[in-house]
Amino acid sequence: MYQFNYHRPTSLADAETLFSGAEDPKFLGGGHTLIPTMKQRLASPSDIIDLGAVKELGGISVSAGILSIGASVRHADVAASPDVRKFIPALADLAGWIGDPLVRHRGTIGGSVANADPSADYPAAILALGATIHTTKRTIPADAFFTGMFETALESGEIIAKITFPSADNAAYEKFRNPASRYAIVGVFVAKTASGVRVAVTGAAPSVFRQTEMEAALTKNFTPNAVAAIKVSADGLNADLHATAEYRAHLVTVMAKRAVARALA
Amino acid sequence: MSAIAKALDKVEAKAKKIAAHLMEAAADDIEFKDGKFTVAGTDKSLSFPEVSLAAYVGHKFPTHEIEPGLKETAFYDPLNFTFPSGCHICELEVDPETGVVTIERFTAVDDFGIIINPMIVEGQVHGGIAQGIGQAMLENGIYSEDGQLLTGSYMDYTMPRAGDLPSFTLGLTTTPCPSNPLGIKGCGEAGAIAAPPAVINALTDALKIRDFTMPASPERVWRAANASRLAAE
Repeated sequence: MYQFNYHRPTSLADAETLFSGAEDPKFLGGGHTLIPTMKQRLASPSDIIDLGAVKELGGISVSAGILSIGASVRHADVAASPDVRKFIPALADLAGWIGDPLVRHRGTIGGSVANADPSADYPAAILALGATIHTTKRTIPADAFFTGMFETALESGEIIAKITFPSADNAAYEKFRNPASRYAIVGVFVAKTASGVRVAVTGAAPSVFRQTEMEAALTKNFTPNAVAAIKVSADGLNADLHATAEYRAHLVTVMAKRAVARALA
Repeated sequence: MSAIAKALDKVEAKAKKIAAHLMEAAADDIEFKDGKFTVAGTDKSLSFPEVSLAAYVGHKFPTHEIEPGLKETAFYDPLNFTFPSGCHICELEVDPETGVVTIERFTAVDDFGIIINPMIVEGQVHGGIAQGIGQAMLENGIYSEDGQLLTGSYMDYTMPRAGDLPSFTLGLTTTPCPSNPLGIKGCGEAGAIAAPPAVINALTDALKIRDFTMPASPERVWRAANASRLAAE
């Protein structure tokens, strides 16, 4: 790890001021991606601005039919939150299944979403539920947020403040885990909300994506059988030591089918 | 272990001579049992620590007859190898949709001859089976074509973890080994040797195929389970 300056602001305004005054700054959430990357010397920011003490970024609340989760809320706190468990149980289940206990007690929803790892779990829920990302500058709908592998619509210096979710009639997440790292090889989140049925797939491609053919089939008939025969193309999907693109494509259908079954259970 | 047993026999014989002097008896009348030296037919007794202390205090006995100390050396050259044997049975389930293999039951009965510490023997068998299941289902060192290790960390190299394993059912038969004085046999590698064929034979039985190259990782099992359908596509 190279040398850097460490800052721990307590307000968003201070965090933004620090960012604009630094040479090559990075915001720090739970640090579970940034710090390993720095240890490997693949990143060498001049300044780390730790958002952990920024009060505006904490807290979970439900009001007027909308669930709001602050950006610095940790995965374990989402998993255990009575509000989340009551409002969108599938989201609490997903959070309780991220990584391992160490990751769940350090990693934050804002950090995960801003990083947009192709095998991260939260992006699937955010896209499938049609969540909204609230930043220091604007609100970004989920459909416009994830733009590529580790790429989002966030601009330099823009901080995610909170993420808001509408309620879901039925929702569930199923993932097929890498046997070594336990990251999602394929994760599928299905959600039936007031604005329709959505199916979001993570792990399979460079970025989370919606499977529109399955959405159309589930809109007509929200049952596992509706998606069981839908074959997903392997074109453009990820391939690694543990899963070829063809296998990932197959798993998208299997996980979608199981997610629908779980959503109805 | 046999050399230790031989050396201990020598220590016991010498300690008996010293005990005989201390208790004013003939060495042939000294019995050693449960850590105590006793004179046959009397209530006289000395503990092993008492005799071993006396062994290093020369004036307690005639040192021109018995050399002080209780240190002995033994050398043992085995007459033959030891031949532990056993039977390991694996029962597993395959999810044909994903290729995930779950071990439902694993039963092992081994013959390690005479067992000195059953608890650590059981631990050795547990560890060996875990390693064997890891080899059969999970572990795979993969290199790129130009020689770069691709499975260089536990993010890619799959070590067996507790969640990958069932609780084992273990049993023993005991046939003393004839080629060493203690009747003991090796046990450390039993699980590591027996588990891979047990797991892979269960898998080939489940899939009705003749052969399967380890490791039985999900995609490879999925391909084997759906070989005819995948070939048709």
